[in-house]
Amino acid sequence: MKILGCFKVVPDLDAIVEQDWEVENQRAVDTGYAKLVWNCFDEGALEMMLRLSEFSEGLNVVFQLSALTVGREKTEGFLKTLYALGFSEGVRICVEEERELLFSPEWVSGLIAAYVEKIAMQDVVLTGTQSSDGSNQKTPYLLAERLGWPCISQVVGIEPVDGEHLKVVSQVSGGRMVQQVKTPCVLAVGNAPCAYLRIPTLRDKMKLGKRPVTRFAPEELCRDKGNGGLQLAALNPIDRKRNTILIDKGSPEENARCLYEEYLKERLSAL
Amino acid sequence: MAIISREQIVEGLKQILGTENVITDEQVLKESSLDRYRKYEQVCEVYTQPIPAAVVYVRSTQEVSEVLAFANENEINVVPRTGHSAIEGGLETALKDSVVIDGSTMNKVLKVDEYNMQVTCQCGVPLQELDDMLRERGYTTGHSPQSKPLAQIGGLVATRSIGQFSTLYGGIEDMIVGMEAVFANGKICRIKNVPRRAAGPDIRHIICGNEGAICFITEVTLKLFKWQPENNRYIGYKLDDAQMKLGFDCLREVMVAGYRPSFARLYDAADAQQHFSAWLEDGKAILIWMAEGPANITPAIEEGIKGMMSKHPELEEVDPSLIEKWYSGLNWGPEQIAEEKEEIRATQNIGITTEVSGSWDNIYEIYKTACDRILAEVPDMTLMGGHSSHSYINGTNMYFVYYYNIVDCAPEEEINKYHDRINQIICEQVIKYGGSIVHHHGLGKARAKYVTQEYGSSYYMLKTLKQAFDPNGIMNMGTLIPLRK
Repeated sequence: MKILGCFKVVPDLDAIVEQDWEVENQRAVDTGYAKLVWNCFDEGALEMMLRLSEFSEGLNVVFQLSALTVGREKTEGFLKTLYALGFSEGVRICVEEERELLFSPEWVSGLIAAYVEKIAMQDVVLTGTQSSDGSNQKTPYLLAERLGWPCISQVVGIEPVDGEHLKVVSQVSGGRMVQQVKTPCVLAVGNAPCAYLRIPTLRDKMKLGKRPVTRFAPEELCRDKGNGGLQLAALNPIDRKRNTILIDKGSPEENARCLYEEYLKERLSAL
Repeated sequence: MAIISREQIVEGLKQILGTENVITDEQVLKESSLDRYRKYEQVCEVYTQPIPAAVVYVRSTQEVSEVLAFANENEINVVPRTGHSAIEGGLETALKDSVVIDGSTMNKVLKVDEYNMQVTCQCGVPLQELDDMLRERGYTTGHSPQSKPLAQIGGLVATRSIGQFSTLYGGIEDMIVGMEAVFANGKICRIKNVPRRAAGPDIRHIICGNEGAICFITEVTLKLFKWQPENNRYIGYKLDDAQMKLGFDCLREVMVAGYRPSFARLYDAADAQQHFSAWLEDGKAILIWMAEGPANITPAIEEGIKGMMSKHPELEEVDPSLIEKWYSGLNWGPEQIAEEKEEIRATQNIGITTEVSGSWDNIYEIYKTACDRILAEVPDMTLMGGHSSHSYINGTNMYFVYYYNIVDCAPEEEINKYHDRINQIICEQVIKYGGSIVHHHGLGKARAKYVTQEYGSSYYMLKTLKQAFDPNGIMNMGTLIPLRK
């Protein structure tokens, strides 16, 4: 069974300086200095693929794991990490200006679909449900539509069944749904319990991580860069600050009394 | 070991401090039996060290004195602590029925003396709060270690801490003016605040770096400096990882020329990727300086460093705004620790650091041979690298950074299979080439076993100090001086 994991490399948003979130009229946040990390949902999807491959021992099914990313050259280090973890193919669709990708799920899904249809047919495509930077939440659905495959969202677990079926666990309102799915299909991974990707040893990196990455220019795969007529109009930070009053009357007893007398008493009596 | 029972210890402490300040909750006791040296045991909640009899919170110097006198009389091992951010085993309770004396409740800033440029605070004042308060007034302690969001003044002095801006401000030993400390027999000693004195040996250094093995620090006066971030200048260069020797030479060149940037760093490629992966190519090391101070000095430092570095064609200048942004986003605190725990549990991959120092003529060999040996001798390594972050006229430090997968290993065994083994290799290489096995985390209990090799003939002085001030052996036994097996 051929499984393709699609992932995005994103800036670590925790490292962004507060003033850089003020994006008045810029329609972009400067994240160029923040270290690069796996998009968290994609990271869970990739780890899920490795676990699936381990589960398959004794089932007489061979899982061939590949990975694909759309991004700049810096992302190739991530693909080499996947080689060291046992992925057999690493593909980069070369887009050096990553801002172009941020709000372009139509384009990205078009590129992935073209890779699957024209270059390497797959049985399953896994993606994260969204990226931490663009947060469009559209790529897996658009991809499934383009391929004409079913899509299961909020996937939290997969297990092998046979060469054509997978058992897929997904989160639904109020519980979890377990489905047996016939391939091909697209699986969008949500808050998976295996949120972190394992780390390859330096020896495995030396042994397996040096294979070249397969590169494609976007034009080789998909000429349509359209985004369904959508255009970014504005970006506004959400102000999460709340007004705060610091009570510092000395002892905890005095603080509690002040809290009750001045701030709670009236509200409580109104209940 | 205590000559009274665990119950009598607790009862005696309650009489001194009151019931509410003597904690015997089992989980608190377990968590207080170790520090971040046994990070994996901490994450797995497996406790291999003797569980203390109590954790006590002290509110005054007098209470510290009474607790120590009680412990001394009954030969109870005590472990002084404030922020609980130690990472070399200094806070492990190595003996049965120990008592952890927690000074974090002594957290008052006693005096900000802007005219004499010094601040006096109790041992439990959190450094982050102190420095934030001072910065609002236009001052700083100049002390900014990575543990800043957690560490408190007593622990920082006890471990001879150093901060990121040490090349300008020095280590904590350069910032201390006077102190108050309590010795094992309950004797309270105060060292007065003067700019300098030549009245015999500098006895501040009996206290500074004692790691709780000689006395309990209750009060510290630190120097103040003007806080002028608007004048900061950032300088950065990338170079091939194979040119690390040149990198050390560049750090040396700047120091020898007489410049005093506030930070001066050299990251090897492996470590650099953890910080600068957004824009730094794989295989590239990086040199960074920051100039801090008056407006007419920082441009001169920048110009001087750039002038010297321009003579090295192997270096490629980096956009200074990338360094500035990285510096502004540097953070480490409780949130990062919680996240790290979760990650370790999920991946069974753990990251550790070990810091050492060396002279300019041996630091590269220390760095290179230790890294090579670890990679050759220790299994399951996933990252091996490091950086130099504190430079002096005569040498620099090396901060080894390493990660490994924990494979087929019970939590109790991890320390032997991986962490101690790596520490041992680093210490062996440092001793072989003539550096110091500890730059700024303290010896703790983890590296106490190498103390005789570290000190050589001067070990006599350390041992005599310990015997003189702690004849009953109650002060954080196993720290600085290893326990006899």
